[in-house]
Amino acid sequence: MSETRLYELVYIVSPDATEQAIADLHTQVESIVARLHGEMVRTETWGRRRLAFKIGKHREGTYVLEVFNGTGELTKELDRRLKVSDIVIRQLIVRVDEELRLAERTRARRQAEVQRRIDRGLPPLGSRRSSSDDDGRDDDAASGAEV
Amino acid sequence: MFNERRTGQGAGPKGRGSSARGADKGGQRRPMFRRRKVCKFCTDKVDYIDYKDAKMLIPFVPERAKILPRRISGVCAMHQRKLQTAIKRARQLALLPYATD
Repeated sequence: MSETRLYELVYIVSPDATEQAIADLHTQVESIVARLHGEMVRTETWGRRRLAFKIGKHREGTYVLEVFNGTGELTKELDRRLKVSDIVIRQLIVRVDEELRLAERTRARRQAEVQRRIDRGLPPLGSRRSSSDDDGRDDDAASGAEV
Repeated sequence: MFNERRTGQGAGPKGRGSSARGADKGGQRRPMFRRRKVCKFCTDKVDYIDYKDAKMLIPFVPERAKILPRRISGVCAMHQRKLQTAIKRARQLALLPYATD
């Protein structure tokens, strides 16, 4: 059994599809997730949006976002099923857990840095940028610190 | 006096740069003043660049829908990398165009 991970699935449903068809598709997705021991986290329907370019002959589509926990096999199965479905015109599954964890970590680190500065009686924002997001332009950073 | 020398020295590399650039344009001697560009994502403390947020990505894909190079936008290397994947994902979902004509 492979590891479970957090994935985001976005699919675009053809604008000709009825509300009922979209709801059916959603329950289908849910059942697949449940069958392969996944877990739904949340669902968002963005509604009808204009596409940035034509897909097939469609100019707009209904976007649906599903966030779920699951394994790689589950994403494979979902992808296959959505490809087969003829009302889905585009789908994308993205693994997000690593990026979210990284974002969380940098936020925590920044918070710790601010806290440390406050404890030392310094203003929360230093002359040097506290995060390590700097670009390696050391010369600029050094001259900034001197002034 | 000392101060003057220091500023002269400081302007040195900049002056060289602008004269080299000026030579291309035909001997312009005016020292170019450029504002230091800072990464928008670093200043706003954005940790996660979301591909679903097309509004946020649009400023980085001007007219032709090409990704804005970071020498122009001033985005730092790390954020440009994240921006790049976000834009590419948004394109797959037709949130952003691949090209416009």
